Amino acid sequence: MRSFVYALAVGLLGAAILHIVIILMLPRFSERDAFSRVSALDDVHSFVALPGTPGGPNGLANDNPYLRTAVCTFSIGAQPALFQAVGAVPFWSIVLYDEASNEIFSMNDKTSVAGNLDLVVATPAQMLALRRTTRPELEKSILVEMSGNVGYAVLRTLAPMPSLEDAARNFLAEATCDGLRPGS
Amino acid sequence: MFRIPLLVALALTVAFGLGTFSAIEALKVTLGFGGITLGPWTAFPQAQTADADPYAKAHRARAGALLLGGAEGLVFYARTDSKGMPLDAGCTYEISGQTPAARFWTLHVTGPDDRPFSLDAGLPTAINSWTVLRRADTAFTVALSRKAQPDNWVALPEQGRFALVLTLLDTPTAGSSGVMELEMPAIVTTGCGDA
Repeated sequence: MRSFVYALAVGLLGAAILHIVIILMLPRFSERDAFSRVSALDDVHSFVALPGTPGGPNGLANDNPYLRTAVCTFSIGAQPALFQAVGAVPFWSIVLYDEASNEIFSMNDKTSVAGNLDLVVATPAQMLALRRTTRPELEKSILVEMSGNVGYAVLRTLAPMPSLEDAARNFLAEATCDGLRPGS
Repeated sequence: MFRIPLLVALALTVAFGLGTFSAIEALKVTLGFGGITLGPWTAFPQAQTADADPYAKAHRARAGALLLGGAEGLVFYARTDSKGMPLDAGCTYEISGQTPAARFWTLHVTGPDDRPFSLDAGLPTAINSWTVLRRADTAFTVALSRKAQPDNWVALPEQGRFALVLTLLDTPTAGSSGVMELEMPAIVTTGCGDA
């Protein structure tokens, strides 16, 4: 009887350890996390607009009936990434996530310059180079520093009424997500 | 003679069974710690950040949802009415009051697993701050029921539990530490059954 209780106690201790291990290791091994899903959309270097609910590529979809979402993976190992969009929509917002889906940076149209999206993401070393050479086309860009090399961006806009659907679709379709060309 | 292997097997079964089960259940039940609760509404302003607790990080890795960033907005979930009773599609509800300051808000109905319901096309499954009809004091009342209602109406599914999702876009609420007085709309049950 005593050994039975002892085995049960060992089992409970093991269960507690396993519980903690699973919770802590799950983010590292999950293949269903947002980064895996977004990077499995093979269209690199452009925003991919997500379809309405339910379902969508890799389970990604607009989960809010009035928000229209587009996603894009970026890699800043070789060059900074540049995100641009011209806003003729009532609202837009962008959020940058790293590989572990931690928020790096987020903003909306009220915090932008003239309502347009113009965002450069760079590693600390690239940022130093960017600051040293003043490039006129980057004068109004918002510069964001990121320590990792890869991540994904989520661009959202609103279609509160069916008549605004086209504007939202065009906004997302014309948004660009590309590597920053080296300055001349 | 089979006592020792039996005890080892027991310990291993308990460890693996309970450990795995409890981890999965814990991730189903909660989005993590650090939520802010206002009446029946709960939000997790830290869920998408690096400061999120391990449960929130494990949950978001498993759910794989595209979360809202801090400057984008904040999502509130409600699974009960203001008295704490679970939301059931067999009942009718009234959501009334004000939302915290936000440039735009949307309200929609989802299933208990946070997936949207697919109702017949044409039925209103959501409402937003542009389309909602307000009273003179800018407060609003939204009726939730299976049958059509006058004024603001959001249709419910045929049966079963459901959840309400209120998304505030461009809101200072996300950064608030509870210092600001936040007013959320109340969810009142107005009747159950076909009566």
